[in-house]
Amino acid sequence: MDTFQNLYRLSVASLVRDRLLYLVFSLAVLALVLIPPFSMFSMRQVQELSVTLCLSALSFFLLVVTVLTGSSSIWRDLEKRYAVSVLGLPLPRRDFVLGKFCAICTLLAVVSLLFAAGSFAAVKVSTALYPSEIPTQWGTFAIAVLFTYLKYVLLLSLAFVFSAVSTSFYFPFLASVAVFIAGSASQEVYEYMLGPYGERIAPTTKALTKGIYYLLPNFTAFDLSAQAIYSLPLVGGTLLLTLGYFVCYTGIMLCIAVWSFSRRELS
Amino acid sequence: MTGRILFCIMLAGYLALAVPFSSSLVNRPVLVKLGTLPEPEVLRIISGDQRFLVAQSAVVKVLFYYGTLVEKFQRKVRITPEYYNMYRTLITASKLDPWNADVYYFTQAAFTWELNKINEVNGLLDYGMRYRTWDYQLPFFAGFNSAYFLKDYKKAASYFEKAAQLRGDPLLANLSSRYFYESGQNRLALSFIDYMAKHTTDSKVVAVYEVRKKALLGVMTLEEAALGYQRRFGKKPERISDLVSSGVISSIPVDPYGGQFYLDGAGKVRSTSKFSFPVPEAQRKKQ
Repeated sequence: MDTFQNLYRLSVASLVRDRLLYLVFSLAVLALVLIPPFSMFSMRQVQELSVTLCLSALSFFLLVVTVLTGSSSIWRDLEKRYAVSVLGLPLPRRDFVLGKFCAICTLLAVVSLLFAAGSFAAVKVSTALYPSEIPTQWGTFAIAVLFTYLKYVLLLSLAFVFSAVSTSFYFPFLASVAVFIAGSASQEVYEYMLGPYGERIAPTTKALTKGIYYLLPNFTAFDLSAQAIYSLPLVGGTLLLTLGYFVCYTGIMLCIAVWSFSRRELS
Repeated sequence: MTGRILFCIMLAGYLALAVPFSSSLVNRPVLVKLGTLPEPEVLRIISGDQRFLVAQSAVVKVLFYYGTLVEKFQRKVRITPEYYNMYRTLITASKLDPWNADVYYFTQAAFTWELNKINEVNGLLDYGMRYRTWDYQLPFFAGFNSAYFLKDYKKAASYFEKAAQLRGDPLLANLSSRYFYESGQNRLALSFIDYMAKHTTDSKVVAVYEVRKKALLGVMTLEEAALGYQRRFGKKPERISDLVSSGVISSIPVDPYGGQFYLDGAGKVRSTSKFSFPVPEAQRKKQ
């Protein structure tokens, strides 16, 4: 078994022992139980509301897990002197970072899969209570869950960049949350600027905003909620472009995280 | 020991405050209860991938508020509804989630009969039709509004044609402008109300439609009695009470809106309530 696999297994074992995850899982189960009765608040679209609630809850839980585990993983190992003792051995730091990253990705995948399975049951119950005129497209729902997962893997890569250079927990945590908010809003702001409002903005400000837009991760592309809720058709080309964007952006962030951590002084 | 005493004091304080605290929240101003949302463009930016949930919660908030209004109207409690804020909240919700069916259904239910904001409602329905391209109900609602309220039968016919194409149901195709004109407005309105009441899970909205249905049935009973009176005596009745005194009907139906039925100069059945829940005069002027 090579170093990467060992470090990956160790990181997974460490995540499984984390009590915070048990709390998140308990809350997720509670949310799934509450989704069918909460869906009844809608007058006409009980099924659609149950899908909305499922995707919103999944997004929220993945955000919590991503930000907390992503921001704390490297910092916690440094704080507990675990990283120093492990990296004292002839092990590449790259494997340490990537092992941790892949372990959290696995955890996010498990959360997504379990929540998606629970969502399937919750939506079925809601549909039985008040059938909708639009049948749920489960394929579209699965793709929406997959893209939500990818969005948080991308955010995780950013959390690793912040975590690799930070000496405290707070900076990667707050920076990840800030980037998440900015990345979720950037597309709307960009489109707003392209409209009549943009004509009143100074060219320098416009160029600066465009620069920030391209620099920030674009999370809007990963949001397929409308398609999943209202069974709208998916555009294959856009999905492929989003996948390509995900691979490139996440790859760049991981390279920066590994490069930063490899040059870090560990005392 | 000190800790326990302190805990007991805090617990007693909490118990003493719980009820007045709760009632102060229940009685907080209506505007605070309904709240105000930021501009849709701003809200869309800050709500990110949760915008569908934000839109639905805005609709549910309006629905809860409307539910309290209905309860108060039913108990004949006279209050000033925040119709403007309700409408604004629904518009915001439609910008956040233009596919949300509740927005269109609720706007149709709350802003047509009571407020007569037909052009605004049809504008919103037209907006919804751009997104809910499969939904026959939006043109169906717009067609009903055009024919029943605006008397624009040509426009109504085009909406019904669109609804019939989407639904593939010949029944909708029959709801043409001609049908409206010839079959009588009240009977058609009754069918529409039954349709609306059947297609919602919300009991408050159903209650509002029940009131409207009762009023329409009252009008229809009196109209038929007036025709019977005319057939029997060869002249139109002068007053509603003539229908009872002549034995055409045994009693005058009750207007569920709290008004009194009367016959206008043309012999048409009307009510002093104008078939709407009472709204204070100042508020009516404001709207």
